Amino acid sequence: MRRAALTSVLALAFGAAAPAAAEPTLVLSAYGISQDAFKKILYEPFEAQCGCELVVEIGNSAERLAKLEARKDNPNVDVVVFADFNALEAARKDLIQPLDPSKLSNLDKLYDVARDPVGDNMAVGYTLYSTSIVYRTDKITDMGSWKDLWRPELENRVAFPNITTTQGPLALYMAERAWTEGQPSQGLETAIAKVAEIKDDVVTFYERSSQIVQLFQQEEIWAAPMGRFAWGNIMKLQMPLGWLLPAEGQTGGLNVASIVKGTEQADLAHQLIDMWLSTEVQTALAEALVDSPVNREVELSGSVAQLMTFGPEQVESLRLVPPEQLLENREAWLETWNAKVAQ
Amino acid sequence: MFTSRTTGLMLVLPAVVFITVGFLAPVLILLAQSLRLEDGWGIGNYLAFMNDGLGREVFWRTIKLAALVTLAAAVIGYVAAWAIVETRPERRGVLVGMVILPLMISPVARTYAWLVILGRTGFLNVLITNLGLSEEPLRLLFTETAVFIGLLQLFLPLMIISLVSALENLPRDVVPAAQTLGAGWIATFFKVILPLTREGLVIGGTLVFTGSVTAYITPAVLGGSKVLMLETLLYQRVSVANDFASASVIAAILMVTTLAANRLLRRLATPRRR
Repeated sequence: MRRAALTSVLALAFGAAAPAAAEPTLVLSAYGISQDAFKKILYEPFEAQCGCELVVEIGNSAERLAKLEARKDNPNVDVVVFADFNALEAARKDLIQPLDPSKLSNLDKLYDVARDPVGDNMAVGYTLYSTSIVYRTDKITDMGSWKDLWRPELENRVAFPNITTTQGPLALYMAERAWTEGQPSQGLETAIAKVAEIKDDVVTFYERSSQIVQLFQQEEIWAAPMGRFAWGNIMKLQMPLGWLLPAEGQTGGLNVASIVKGTEQADLAHQLIDMWLSTEVQTALAEALVDSPVNREVELSGSVAQLMTFGPEQVESLRLVPPEQLLENREAWLETWNAKVAQ
Repeated sequence: MFTSRTTGLMLVLPAVVFITVGFLAPVLILLAQSLRLEDGWGIGNYLAFMNDGLGREVFWRTIKLAALVTLAAAVIGYVAAWAIVETRPERRGVLVGMVILPLMISPVARTYAWLVILGRTGFLNVLITNLGLSEEPLRLLFTETAVFIGLLQLFLPLMIISLVSALENLPRDVVPAAQTLGAGWIATFFKVILPLTREGLVIGGTLVFTGSVTAYITPAVLGGSKVLMLETLLYQRVSVANDFASASVIAAILMVTTLAANRLLRRLATPRRR
């Protein structure tokens, strides 16, 4: 940032005579995770190609969204990445602008689910993950449904994600579909009531995916819903654990990239996003076990593919929670949960 | 030349500035924030917290667990401290050292150790099933019992140390004197030892109670979201819900609770005037 400020001061000082000499700066707001890998795979190659400087601001999605809102009239970020429902919230608050599909040469290579996830081309998906049930294959042989988490054999053997985590609402969403025979309510009342029925038999409502690894390791639990991004660590346990493909399907999450409204670097912003979606970058990110690809052309070796959410079969079976439903109901779900489960 | 009065004032000035900027001002801002409503000021946030079933439950659970831990620490502490004081002075140092040693290990490490010990395949459950006390391993983790055990182990040393120094100052001959006058062990304890060591009990009790009420790691790791206490609820409100209004209410409640507990313990320990 300091260099950017300096450049603009210099540009001012030299007046209109010198602007061509100033190297343009693009600011990306991203999650803090795996920045070393991103630097090598995406940031440095991008800088070499664009002849510009890329500045990365990191933080969790809630705080970065708050920052965008605070700087609404004078944005200092050009590209932002977060979850699909964050992008929808940003779009409704008029913080991001539509992408120009003609400037994204790799758009056609993406799975349908990633192309225009929040509508009006406000965002494009760059990675996704599935959420399903991990279970002890030696203890329960005929798992097949989200409803099986409620089986009597699993009493005192199940951990459930807390509603305050990202995975909590996702697991509830699938439970609601399962228990209502595909007639889910917006409020997820059935699923929450079902969890309330067994709340004393649930070992714990976990808050971090790292907890799950330890709970399986200590044989505290035999089954738990979780996100695929933690599957690699689960496999390291070398225990008889399986990833269920439930009859009702899996859910998951989609992370997206958007362009901040009022940016002066719209062209560079599109270039960065396009590069991110390219087969080359998507493959490299997957092989570094950073992000599962949304680009259909990506090919992965068996061992890597096993750790990621990969392939049309996995991706097309995902029943993602519509971002508007998540955004509009999150607080109501929390309230119902606090009244029925947390007490 | 400075008078001694101005010198004194100038000497306290840095500390006063530090305390004001680093402690008093933030606390006042925090308290003010808890009274801030969308349209003005008032106690609405507090009413909302106490009207919320979850808030009430968490508040009473915190008080209950902290009180039980303090009580258990006092009972175990008196026995342990008495044993330490009764040993020869040259051995006393070793025993006190053994009591203090756990305090030098990070509470995170100690709490994670309990996670292993209390687990379904952990030491305690192996013992229980092998002794035939229960056929099935018990579910101890993520229960109030687990939090109670963790907090007790965490803060018991503070109680023992306070009581050891109180008992060391107890005149050696009061116990034989009481017994000569016909008092049994129970009467001796409640009528002689307890009143004479109450200062140590108040200090130890305040440390244990305050520590238990404000502990975060132990309830978070051993209790989890099923056994929320005020600190873990506070963390959830700030980091997950971004709800600073109810978080500052919880912070204020924590402060008032610990201050009130200290006053109460003092009152209990002060003998009534005749």
